Amino acid sequence: MEFLQTMLEVIKRTAPGFLEATVLTLQVTAVALVLGTLLGLVFALMKISKSKILQTIANIYITIIRGTPLIVQIMFLYFGITAVIILDAFWAGAIALGIHNGAYIAEIFRGAIQSIDKGQREASMALGMTRGQSMKRIIFPQALKRSIPPLGNQFIITLKDSSLVYIISVSELFAVANRDAAQSYQPFETYLVVGLYYLVLVMIFTAILRWYEGRLNVDK
Amino acid sequence: MLKATNLHKSFGKLEVLKGIDLEVQPSEVVVLVGVSGSGKSTLLRCFNFLERINQGSIEIDGQVIDAKKQKLSQVRAEVGMVFQHFNLFPHKTVLENVIEAPIVVKKENKETAIAKGKALLEKVGLADKADVYPSKLSGGQKQRVAIARALAMEPKALLFDEPTSALDPELVGEVLAVMKQLAEEGMTMVVVTHEMKFAREVADRIIMLDEGVIIENTDPKTFFENPSNERTRQFISLVE
Repeated sequence: MEFLQTMLEVIKRTAPGFLEATVLTLQVTAVALVLGTLLGLVFALMKISKSKILQTIANIYITIIRGTPLIVQIMFLYFGITAVIILDAFWAGAIALGIHNGAYIAEIFRGAIQSIDKGQREASMALGMTRGQSMKRIIFPQALKRSIPPLGNQFIITLKDSSLVYIISVSELFAVANRDAAQSYQPFETYLVVGLYYLVLVMIFTAILRWYEGRLNVDK
Repeated sequence: MLKATNLHKSFGKLEVLKGIDLEVQPSEVVVLVGVSGSGKSTLLRCFNFLERINQGSIEIDGQVIDAKKQKLSQVRAEVGMVFQHFNLFPHKTVLENVIEAPIVVKKENKETAIAKGKALLEKVGLADKADVYPSKLSGGQKQRVAIARALAMEPKALLFDEPTSALDPELVGEVLAVMKQLAEEGMTMVVVTHEMKFAREVADRIIMLDEGVIIENTDPKTFFENPSNERTRQFISLVE
């Protein structure tokens, strides 16, 4: 009983700061997802292209990103880029997260594109479509639908990984909770509350994805 | 209309076509037969450049096609193909399947394409299915849509790659009926099939391939009653 009361107090006390930070968390995540999806698409197409050079570039990118920790990538980009151009922590963090996701999303798209029956490509080519037309009109729309479940998974990971940008002092949800935990001497309760925030965000996200997936399957 | 000269095709070390010479006249219906692995499907696919040939040449409508210099997409647009597994686009409705290439490839305007598409669906007996997705169709209906889709490009010739082999027996007839109708209307057709009744009734010429070479090239009557090659005789006794 006493514990619940303490929890309610902590929730109430942290609410203004946490809600404000949630907005920042969602912004970092949104930028990272848009950038990651675009990069993922470009690198997926490079990987399945006929050009050895493009394939190699894509492979190097994916190998480096998947082979190093995200937190190292964030630090590297922040201190690396801010040495050359002035970029605030928010953008450095969001871009790092986007570049990181691009590698994983590229593999999701590549897998989905290659999973489409080769008869689809042959049928579209036999009708006179170019490779580009066939990809855009026939293969990719089907691949995209097939990518939704793994893509949703990746989006959830991104939402949670966005907490790592606290390391370059972006005042997102985890950074604010971290500060609060130290100042209030209630680390257990504070981290429990911030955990609930992420849990709720992920659940909302999952519900939206389910709804979208359902909508895609309505008539097919 | 279609002409192959000294055609060679290998997959790795395996030579599948060993010097094929074949000419198909306008409005002619040529049926390709042979045991599996004889190269008949590969030959058909060469006519649409879905396979790159290693040696020899292919002419379409009197023009030699150079795969290195010409845009193959333009060449393919002139020769339609119907596949064993239909390969309809599952994310598009029946009508969208039919009008896709005319709009994207031939830049036809949408109203024209729709009007023509509906007429073609009428012709294959599927006007009422225009707005459903392929997954709701039977195999025979799918293949008839695939034929309508190929016809929508107004091809100079149509290639059929075992069009009824993936169908339940009771659905074969409706597809063959559409093909027969096309043949009667004067469409140039090359058909790979195991349907001997169709070959006998519809073909102008039957070609038997064996291990990558043509061993029989004759009219249906001679093919069935008096074939020149012992292998052809064996084949006929097996399939009939």
